[in-house]
Amino acid sequence: MAQSAQTVKKRKIKGDGVWGYAFIAVALIVYALFTAYPVFSAFLISFQEYKPLGSTYIGFDNYTATFKDDLFWKSIKNTLVYTVLTVPVALLLSFLVAIMILPLRKKLQTVFKAVYYLPVVASGVALSLVWLWIFDPMPGGIFNQFIGWFGAHNQNWLGSSATAMFSLVIMAWLSSHGASIIIYLAALLGIDDSYYEAADLDGASFLQKLWHIVLPSLKPTTLFLLVTAVIGSFQVFQNAYLMTGGGPDHATTMVGLLIFDNAFKYFEFGKAAAQSLILALIIALVSLFQFKFLGKDVDY
Amino acid sequence: MMNKGKALSLMLAATLSVSALTACGGNNNNNGAASPSSAASGSAGASGSAASGAKDTITALLPPVSPTYQDNFDQMEKDFNAKYPNLTLKIEPASWEDMTQKLDTQVNAGSPPDIAFIGSDGIAKYVQQGMALDLTDVATPEMTGDYDAAPLEYMKNGSGLYGFPAYMEVHALGGNKEFLEAAGIDWKNVQKNGWTYDEFREAIKKGVVKNGDATSRYGFVFATAGVASKDYLGIMAKSAGMPAAFTKELKYAYTSKNYLELLTDLRQLIDDGSMPKELSSVDAGKRWNMFLTGQTMITGKGLATFENSAKKNNAKIDAKDGSAVKDSIKVDYIVLPVPTFAGAEPVSYTVVDGYVAFRGKKEPTAEHKANIAKAAYFLSSGQVAATTNNDLFAAHITKSGREAAASMPIERSADNVAAVETMLSHAAPARPDIPADLGAKAIKIENEVIIPKMQALLANEIKPQEMYDAVKKAAIDAFGEDGIVQD
Repeated sequence: MAQSAQTVKKRKIKGDGVWGYAFIAVALIVYALFTAYPVFSAFLISFQEYKPLGSTYIGFDNYTATFKDDLFWKSIKNTLVYTVLTVPVALLLSFLVAIMILPLRKKLQTVFKAVYYLPVVASGVALSLVWLWIFDPMPGGIFNQFIGWFGAHNQNWLGSSATAMFSLVIMAWLSSHGASIIIYLAALLGIDDSYYEAADLDGASFLQKLWHIVLPSLKPTTLFLLVTAVIGSFQVFQNAYLMTGGGPDHATTMVGLLIFDNAFKYFEFGKAAAQSLILALIIALVSLFQFKFLGKDVDY
Repeated sequence: MMNKGKALSLMLAATLSVSALTACGGNNNNNGAASPSSAASGSAGASGSAASGAKDTITALLPPVSPTYQDNFDQMEKDFNAKYPNLTLKIEPASWEDMTQKLDTQVNAGSPPDIAFIGSDGIAKYVQQGMALDLTDVATPEMTGDYDAAPLEYMKNGSGLYGFPAYMEVHALGGNKEFLEAAGIDWKNVQKNGWTYDEFREAIKKGVVKNGDATSRYGFVFATAGVASKDYLGIMAKSAGMPAAFTKELKYAYTSKNYLELLTDLRQLIDDGSMPKELSSVDAGKRWNMFLTGQTMITGKGLATFENSAKKNNAKIDAKDGSAVKDSIKVDYIVLPVPTFAGAEPVSYTVVDGYVAFRGKKEPTAEHKANIAKAAYFLSSGQVAATTNNDLFAAHITKSGREAAASMPIERSADNVAAVETMLSHAAPARPDIPADLGAKAIKIENEVIIPKMQALLANEIKPQEMYDAVKKAAIDAFGEDGIVQD
């Protein structure tokens, strides 16, 4: 009997099993090389004063220095403000655009999908350069010309603490919702028509259908987009790095930018690694909170 | 046939082996020169057993130092090999944008190039990391004797010599001759005798042109955003009685009362309307565009090479070449000195860039070090330096470079040449005596306090006194009450 079981096992490994392991091995190796190993290294480095010629173990010094650093807390606050201001509006805009595209004919839908998805494909650096042009502080800048039509004064968009964060938020609101729109559209198309037909028979209005059918049906999608958007927002780096460099007076220093500066400007890799792990912990806690309180009745 | 458990174990072991091998990328005990090709060619340093005259490869990471610099790489490699038949110079080109990042990544992985072209102010951080290579014992008297003394000092830190300088450029201001003369500014006198802050302030007020409420031309525009963010204050501070971040007694200088006066003066220029109130967002590209399009009378910072850039644009305008800067006007570029502040003596900010030597994790052999010195000297002297510095309109700083340049005349304003020489005569001296750890702390204060607060000051969000107080607090935290200037 035991012999027979062994034979079955051998047969499985010889057949599909070998290929299965081979395919898994590729993913596992990539994961080990580019995810697990860097994370493990970062964990080790966070307890060291890193030097190329030999690092020194310094215990929790990098963590205590981080917790005592005012700039770290300011960067956390900036990141939270950015997240709170951008994520809900970005989701709402994606949802509204998806709702507007939904009734269109398939070809027209495809055109709009492509148009909205295009910025996702485009280089982030190129997009930032376009936005720098839009936020040009001189009177000839596009935004300044626009507000000038309404009699408003010229603004130093990215150079003033009063407007720099808001400028980054505007940029986030108005660009790169392509992926969310596509996902919302797919979810909307997945809602069974019978719900709408039943609602029509009951004489439900558009808003009633939206409230009682669409929104509950999209809750898993919304939760997924919310969690991924919050994670992305906590890790925001490129916009602040390219548009403001974290200024003025650290008004737009996000935690991702602070980590980059510590690592690559000051060569404090240990501190940067510690801050990365703290950020990962914060993101994990926020995600857990979202799943616990918003995902109670969501099935996947 | 192995069972599932064994297969999985084998796979995990293989995975770990691969990752361990990857980790070895930063731990390969090479000498920094060990690119695969150099290892294959028997790199002296890599093998650690090279005899004199043995084959060796020296790697160099080089940005586009001058407009035509990178076009000459093949020739430079050939000429070096002709001079030293056993040596190969392997040049890796880099853009200015990714130069520092590329170098820092290689340095932190423990496998930098043997030579990189960087600013001398960057040497301290690599010394602190232990990755800069001291060439003192392999730089021959023939090599060191070729350089002017002042720029060579910039390549030192403590008692070590970490490379050879390529040029010594002075950070000046640049004026539009037509606008200066229309404003009644005796620019020739300013070139010879300099100007005080008050004289400068009155002069740039005269350069302002208004159309109703809007300003169509400013008196002075200095780039203060992006990579240029630290230049403005740093350049002006030299002529405000603070030629370096530390005094000779190694006390942090930017807590002097002169610093507060300087901050007050710089804010005043915006309040006067002589500089744009949006100055904090003007980057290097924009201010040069504003200069060429006649939106400012004086621009900063100015380097000698800008005279060449202005000339080239003038030629394009004459030729109706579409690649001329849009809406630009013809400009006669006038080199102008930085004003002096708080009654201080003029001290020019000089930038000395050069070929700095690096080491890998393994101690390089004496032979390889000597070969690195040969390559750094080759790149920074003679024909190579003459060609590059002529392209940049930069002064020659080696005897061999001057000799090679004698047969390469360039068309350059004699007034500007004399103005640059005057400024170089009172250039800030090199400060190799500033310990690397103090230098690193000063750089951190600059990045974390001075630049952000300066942005806020220029945006009129804080007062000069608030910025001064913030700098003083950070300085006391870093250096202690006794480690700063209190006048």
